[in-house]
Formats: sequence, C-alpha cells, structure tokens
Amino acid sequence: MFIDIHVHPAFYEPINRDLAREEMRHEALDIHKNGTAPLAHIFNQMRCAGLDRLCLLAQDYSTSIGQTVVSNQEIRELLDLAPDRFFGFASVDPHDPKAVEKLEDAFLRLGLQGLNLHPGRQKFLPSAPELEPIYAICERFDKPVLFHAGLSWEPDTQTRLGHPLEFEAVAAAHPKLRICLGHFGWPWVRETAMLMLKYPNVYADTACLYFDSAREFYIQTFTRDIPATWIDRSLRHQVMFGSDNPRFEQIRMASALEELGLRDSTLELIRGRNALDFLGLAREGDPICT
Amino acid sequence: MYLKSITLQTSAYNEMIVLTPQVEETVAESGVKNGMVTVLTKHTTTGITVNEALECLESDIQIALSLFAPEDRPYSHARMLRDYGSTAGNPTGHLKAMLTGNHCHFLIRDGRLDRGGAQDVYFCEFDGPARRKILIIVEEHTVL
Repeated sequence: MFIDIHVHPAFYEPINRDLAREEMRHEALDIHKNGTAPLAHIFNQMRCAGLDRLCLLAQDYSTSIGQTVVSNQEIRELLDLAPDRFFGFASVDPHDPKAVEKLEDAFLRLGLQGLNLHPGRQKFLPSAPELEPIYAICERFDKPVLFHAGLSWEPDTQTRLGHPLEFEAVAAAHPKLRICLGHFGWPWVRETAMLMLKYPNVYADTACLYFDSAREFYIQTFTRDIPATWIDRSLRHQVMFGSDNPRFEQIRMASALEELGLRDSTLELIRGRNALDFLGLAREGDPICT
Repeated sequence: MYLKSITLQTSAYNEMIVLTPQVEETVAESGVKNGMVTVLTKHTTTGITVNEALECLESDIQIALSLFAPEDRPYSHARMLRDYGSTAGNPTGHLKAMLTGNHCHFLIRDGRLDRGGAQDVYFCEFDGPARRKILIIVEEHTVL
C-alpha cells in the first residue's frame, strides 16, 4: 500500500460549496490560481502517482484568523465520501480553551486517526506546558501527532517555532507518543535525522520541495544534505512519503523517491509500512523488513 | 460569432484526446454555412494539434515530444512561484505546448467542417490530470 501521509484537502470540491470559504483558504494558505478539485481528479492524480491512500489534514487556526481552514467535521465528510481512499487527521488550536474537548470529540465521535499541529502558525512551542493535556489525549487514544516542522510558506508563520530541536523535549517526555516532523524539518534535515536516530518515536515525512524539480530537490536533500545511507540503514522505519499537496507535486515527488538509490525494501517501508506503523494500523504478524 | 466552451477532466500526465466530434457538433449547432472555426485551449501546458487519429502515431508524437523536453533536464522553471504559492514542476508541459501550439483553424463550407480525410483535432494534455477548458469559436464569413 502506497500512502501519502501529508495532504491538505483545502481545495477539494465537496468542501468548497461556499465561495467566501474558498477565498479565505487561498489567502490563509497563500495558494492561488489552483481552483478546486473534484474527487474524480484527486483519484486520477492518485492513480498517476501510484498512491492507494491519502492522509487528509485538518487545519485549525481559530485564534489567529478566527476560523478553521479545514475543520475536523469537513475531514470526516471527506472520509465518508471515500473511506477506502482517505485517512483523516484532526486539528485543534492549542490556544483554544476548548482544544482538549474538541480533540476528544474528533477521536471519539468523528473517528479521526491523528492530530495535525503547526507550531509556527499556531504560535506555540511544542514543549510548552499548555500542550501537555493535548499530548495526554493523544497518548490515551494511541493517536499520532503530525507537526509542521521547518520552513512554512504560509503567511504569518515563525519558522523558529518549528525547528526540529524544539521537538526533542516532547519526544523524550512522551516515548509512547508517535510524532512526525513534517517536511523533514527542512532546511534542518540533519537535525531531524539526529532526532530520529535518538528517538524511535520520531518520524519524518518527505513533504519538502522548496527549490528545483522534485527529482533534483530529493537528490539534494536525501543523498547530499544527508547521505542516502542514513535513511537506508538507520532511519528506514521512520521515514514516510508525504507530498504537502497541493503546495507541492504529488506525482513527480512519488516518482522522485525512486531516484535516491534506496533498497527496494526501504522504498516499501517509506511508501506505506511506516505510515501504517505511525497510524497504529500495522497488524501483528505483518512482515517487517529489517 | 458562435462560441462554445467545453471542459475536459483529463486523466493522465500526458494524454491526447480527439475533439473532432465536439467541433463538428458545435459547427452544426451554430447554423453557420460558410466561415471559419477555431479550436483554442485556454492553458499553457496543453496544446491543440491536427493529425491522423491512430494509436501508433499518438505514441510516436508523445515520444518525439519527450525527446525534445525530457523530464530529467535541469529546467529554469523548476522553482517555487510566489504568485501561486506552489512549485512549478511543469516546464516540460510548457515546452511541449509551445511545439503543438494552442489552436487550430478549419474552413466551414456548406455547414460542414472542411477537413482532409486523415485530419482530426486533438487536445493534448502535458501536465495532467487536470480540469481543462477549450473554446470552440465559429465565425461566419461571406463567400465572394
């Protein structure tokens, strides 16, 4: 199974019936000229990339822009339209006094499979004490957290809040909490690799494409900035394919993975098995490449 | 002038789709007996071309275009675009579209498309899958 763990469905047609909401999304995300996408287009894109499942992320920026960019309820609606194609992550704004309540609702009533947080946009330090009740809910329900890490193209973001080192205290204090540093923490990919080496509960996704073509950027990032051997030998169970679509190009990024000189068994892990582990869906007895 | 806009949902990265039936239908709808029809794509990574509608030729055309614009060349257009807030990973689409052009014309005589026996109108997708818009413009001319 080939999974894209990092997809933003902000412009999916079924949740864009309201033009004002669509316009808000263009401004909030600084993504323009892309229009909205019917699910038929999404499925075509998945087929061209060879993807079986997408993990759709909610984005709750209630306290900074006064609303959610994509709500937990909208993620549920999309899951209901294609339950065999999508996984869904909730989002809460850590500054919202009802954040814990909303997260419990997302896991219990909406059945969402993890939590998406963006320290740089939501303006919090991952290790801040206010986050502890949120992490406690995730641990109680055995749900992973996907953090935006490294550079964010979104407006009104502070990159320093997503520096990989800011996540070390969380990884250390919560060894049973699976956390993913989105975008491999780019440009701090060595720091991300360091954290993954030290903490087996830290994952990273490949949703980065800030310069050049997908092929050129992946070769630079995953064979030069860090050697491919680091992934192939030591981090192979902690790297997941992610695209950050629609910001970046799902089809060409999926293809670029094959250019890195990784073992076939490592590619299989990055394409799907690691995401299933991260989601807590890998079954006992499933073969694990070592 | 009679104008029709059609929307296609393409399903592959590179794809050739015959549009001749839609063009003939639009000419018939227009009621124009003598004139000119133009088929025009509204995108810069798609093309309109005229060729014989054979699977073998479609394959040869795609391969020839790929030789001109291979995926693994270092293109200047491969970068983040501020206006879009996303990456421009489609330089090959722009270059292939430049070769095919973005439109074609046919004469209309006695209310019918005056095309050669082997001529078909193709819409060419070079950065799919995507939703695409095409204009079919029918103009009436006086025959002197």
